[in-house]
Amino acid sequence: MGDSQYSFSLTTFSPSGKLVQIEHALTAVGSGQTSLGIKAANGVVIATEKKLPSILVDETSVQKIQILTPNIGVVYSGMGPDSRVLVRKSRKQAEQYHRLYKEPIPVTQLVRETAAVMQEFTQSGGVRPFGVSLLVAGFDDKGPQLYQVDPSGSYFSWKASAMGKNVSNAKTFLEKRYTDDMELDDAVHTAILTLKEGFEGQISGKNIEIGIIGSDKVFRVLTPAEIDDYLQEVE
Amino acid sequence: MSREAMEMPPKGGFSFDLCKRNDMLVKKGLKEPSFLKTGTTIVGLIFKDGVILGADTRATEGPIVADKNCEKIHYMAPNIYCCGAGTAADTEAVTDMVSSQLKLHRYHTGRESRVVTALSLLKSHLFSYQGYVSAALVLGGVDVTGPHLHTIYPHGSTDTLPFATMGSGSLAAMAVFESKYREGLTRDEGVKLVSEAICSGIFNDLGSGSNVDICVITKGAKEYLRNHMLPNPRTYISEKGYSFSKKTEVLRTKITPLREMVEVIEGGDAMEE
Repeated sequence: MGDSQYSFSLTTFSPSGKLVQIEHALTAVGSGQTSLGIKAANGVVIATEKKLPSILVDETSVQKIQILTPNIGVVYSGMGPDSRVLVRKSRKQAEQYHRLYKEPIPVTQLVRETAAVMQEFTQSGGVRPFGVSLLVAGFDDKGPQLYQVDPSGSYFSWKASAMGKNVSNAKTFLEKRYTDDMELDDAVHTAILTLKEGFEGQISGKNIEIGIIGSDKVFRVLTPAEIDDYLQEVE
Repeated sequence: MSREAMEMPPKGGFSFDLCKRNDMLVKKGLKEPSFLKTGTTIVGLIFKDGVILGADTRATEGPIVADKNCEKIHYMAPNIYCCGAGTAADTEAVTDMVSSQLKLHRYHTGRESRVVTALSLLKSHLFSYQGYVSAALVLGGVDVTGPHLHTIYPHGSTDTLPFATMGSGSLAAMAVFESKYREGLTRDEGVKLVSEAICSGIFNDLGSGSNVDICVITKGAKEYLRNHMLPNPRTYISEKGYSFSKKTEVLRTKITPLREMVEVIEGGDAMEE
């Protein structure tokens, strides 16, 4: 890393005090497919559109929602390949924590470490910031939690959040619909309705992905059949 | 975390830096610290529906029994378990490390771990340490390709067998296996044979003792039978009980408190901050 001609940081401050590359990264996120997360009283749900570039793509081979630990899952908006790198690093960090302390990593710790990685790439030579924002959903001793991590490395805990295209409409919709005492099933319905708002075309179990974690503290991605059941309930 | 980008790739293998110093210290008369070994009898066999692993539970430190009921059957993956003989720290650390690597591999591939994967990870690690990681392992599990049983030696060589024994009690256990093992055993027959082999090690080898642990792994299920047999219970407890001879007479009692107990009344004239 040290000897290269290009070993200067691409994220240098602009005169107005902004880091332009990070702003551009956020734009990249903003043009990605919509994803959202809702924290219920007894669990968390994360969901995303799964629009494939062509009908010839085998949709069973694509999985946008990934599991990081048995009780933490993640979804992204933005560049898929960047998210894969982050998922890989996060999984490794969670596993290293577990090996050292012999306890499952708390959600806040994993978010903090992932955010630290993303920040690293805004202050190192010859690299660019990640073009993804992540929504991390987990359930540990502190209860259900939902965090959003941005390309800058900043993270926030949310009761409900959305990212990607159509984010302002989605957030307005969520603001209206969110209640503190929502149950997990209600949250899933609300998530589906929010996705439906900005959806182009017919929504089905094949073109959205939903991941849930309940009080059993096991994160899982719903099968297309289960999503179709929820869709029928919503209608 | 930004040091990651600057760090050299790990050199791996054993670092011999301190060996000269240690030699010098021994020459000057320093006694090298002994380490906790598991004398051990560990066994494994393949039966009709899968694999059965067995182990004793004695951990020794020279001539002393350090742990009367330690766990020698280590978890590697939901469908793979590993018995460890040799230096207790080495077996625990190496199985822990490979179990961790297998877990990450499962997340990345989305598939159940295979026994040969665990085998390859273990043997390459042990080989790179040239036998200094003193771990002799019996690795068994059931995966999509069927049931597998392997032995791994501290230097990194492996064997694939239908029945296997390791540890100081391995000869006693192997004698039982060689005479009574046959293919296609049922679960109960297999558990009985493994228990017999471990008991043979427990009673005939000084390095093995206490209880029998068993782990039965079949396709899609596993049973960890901790302390399946307890052939060495504490049997002698004196019926008469224990009495102690007459104590010295109490002539005088005086209690002096170390600190005076003062009652504090809350509220009232509280000081302003």
